[in-house]
Amino acid sequence: MKKKRYFTPTDLMLSVMFLLFCLFIAYRIKVGLNYNWAWDSIFQFLFRFDNESNSWVSGLIMTGFYTTIRLSIWGILFATVFGVVSGIARTSSIPLFRWLATTYVETMRNLPPLVIIFIAYFFVGDQLLYPLGIDDWAETLSPTGQNIITVLFAKPSQLTSFLAALMTLAIFEGAYITEIVRAGIESIDRGQWEASHSLGLTRYQQMRHIILPQTFQRIMPPLAGQFISLIKDSSIVSVISIQELCFQGIEIMTGTLHTIEIWIVVTLLYLTLTLPCSLVVERLENSMSRGVH
Amino acid sequence: MNVKKLGDHIITVDKVCKTFPNGVKALCDFSTNIRRAEVVVVIGPSGSGKSTFLRCLNGLEEIDSGEIIFDGIPLDHDKKNRLKIRREMGMVFQSFNLFPHMTVLENIMLAQKLVRKSSTGVAKDVSMELLEKVGIQDKVSAYPGQLSGGQQQRVAIARALAMKPKVMLFDEATSALDPEMIGEVLDVMKTLAREGMTMICVTHELGFAQEVSDWVIFMDQGKIIEGGTADHFFSNPQEERTKLFLSQIL
Repeated sequence: MKKKRYFTPTDLMLSVMFLLFCLFIAYRIKVGLNYNWAWDSIFQFLFRFDNESNSWVSGLIMTGFYTTIRLSIWGILFATVFGVVSGIARTSSIPLFRWLATTYVETMRNLPPLVIIFIAYFFVGDQLLYPLGIDDWAETLSPTGQNIITVLFAKPSQLTSFLAALMTLAIFEGAYITEIVRAGIESIDRGQWEASHSLGLTRYQQMRHIILPQTFQRIMPPLAGQFISLIKDSSIVSVISIQELCFQGIEIMTGTLHTIEIWIVVTLLYLTLTLPCSLVVERLENSMSRGVH
Repeated sequence: MNVKKLGDHIITVDKVCKTFPNGVKALCDFSTNIRRAEVVVVIGPSGSGKSTFLRCLNGLEEIDSGEIIFDGIPLDHDKKNRLKIRREMGMVFQSFNLFPHMTVLENIMLAQKLVRKSSTGVAKDVSMELLEKVGIQDKVSAYPGQLSGGQQQRVAIARALAMKPKVMLFDEATSALDPEMIGEVLDVMKTLAREGMTMICVTHELGFAQEVSDWVIFMDQGKIIEGGTADHFFSNPQEERTKLFLSQIL
């Protein structure tokens, strides 16, 4: 049931005002800022022709964009795993599990992400991951193996820091997913527990066959929203020198001073990742409100 | 009158007390015995502890003191015992509680496969037979949300029966239904009663009680006020409280 929308005089007035505001900004940039537009020099950072291999290769921005995509996909995967496990622990009947999960959630939610990134990077990265010798191991792989690692994660030389950043991101976002999962589990009608209880299912079977399937159906919209947050938040790992989209943007900006062009490009690239997700969320919410069982 | 032979005691309830955390005494020194093939109807005003009695029987609520023995197994804190008892007692709820993400058939097959470890084929055969018995074999692949209340409740009965329980508990199974659907559910329950299923029914359907019950229990404030055969109970109640209650609802 959509309301009919009319374009009222107020709308017209506001639109004109908005348009004037945009023109003013453009004018300020043109005159006040005295800005030299250099769109032609931006393209080489997206794609450039490599004379050695005689082919087109990705520029710095695009390689950063790929890293952001890798971080996002793996981050969503691991954050979901962390979130579901600790979400179940939050609703567990065993106090120890509840305490652990609560501590995890409250720590992550009450610290600025930047602080978590630094702590996790210097601790997880330096103390836990480097001693494992992942970089060395990756560099001993065959060229094909190294290529696979590079496509899936990062160059062998940057693998450890990539993994540290990835885990930090996943642990951080996992705390929010925990709360979504917990709320989802708690929203399931008590009758579902009681019916499956009286059929003689064990608690594991209740969770696995009755509660979680309904929970996931119900939490898809907020979960997808959290995934969008994760994609956006992946930009904070630029502070620990992960060469993702934001990091490359900063690098090129300091190198070329084409500030506005760079950030417009970066903006558009982020939007190509997040807008489709938003549309999916909207679809999900619409189909939920229509009441698909 | 139905002439049927009742067996030995299958459930013994001895001096059971249950107080809720908010201080409400739901059951107070509650004792009764249920015999095999017996149909017991529990009536009483709301808040009298009828539902709590049923829920204590299959371990949905913990009892504070007293003893419940089911078919030789004590309902104590031993998880294995509790699981064993749950598996032998079917329960039908006021609000149906079907699993909304599964079809009718999946609802009925689930516990057979998970708990009884039946093969899919066997589970399906049993389910189809039961669906025929409750009269909804044509809704096999429908989801609960697509069924009427009466149909949902009949599926819920079939789901409980699929476990081949020794006792069936009915917790106000017809209270949430539109009047025209009560009959179809009661018919299924009557059929079960005549087939010799041991049943404990909390209900407001006095007609049902008169027709098929072997024993009627009247409860108030967590206690049994009066118990007797349906004939005796409805025509000649002894206690003032019972008379008052019957005069109010008849």
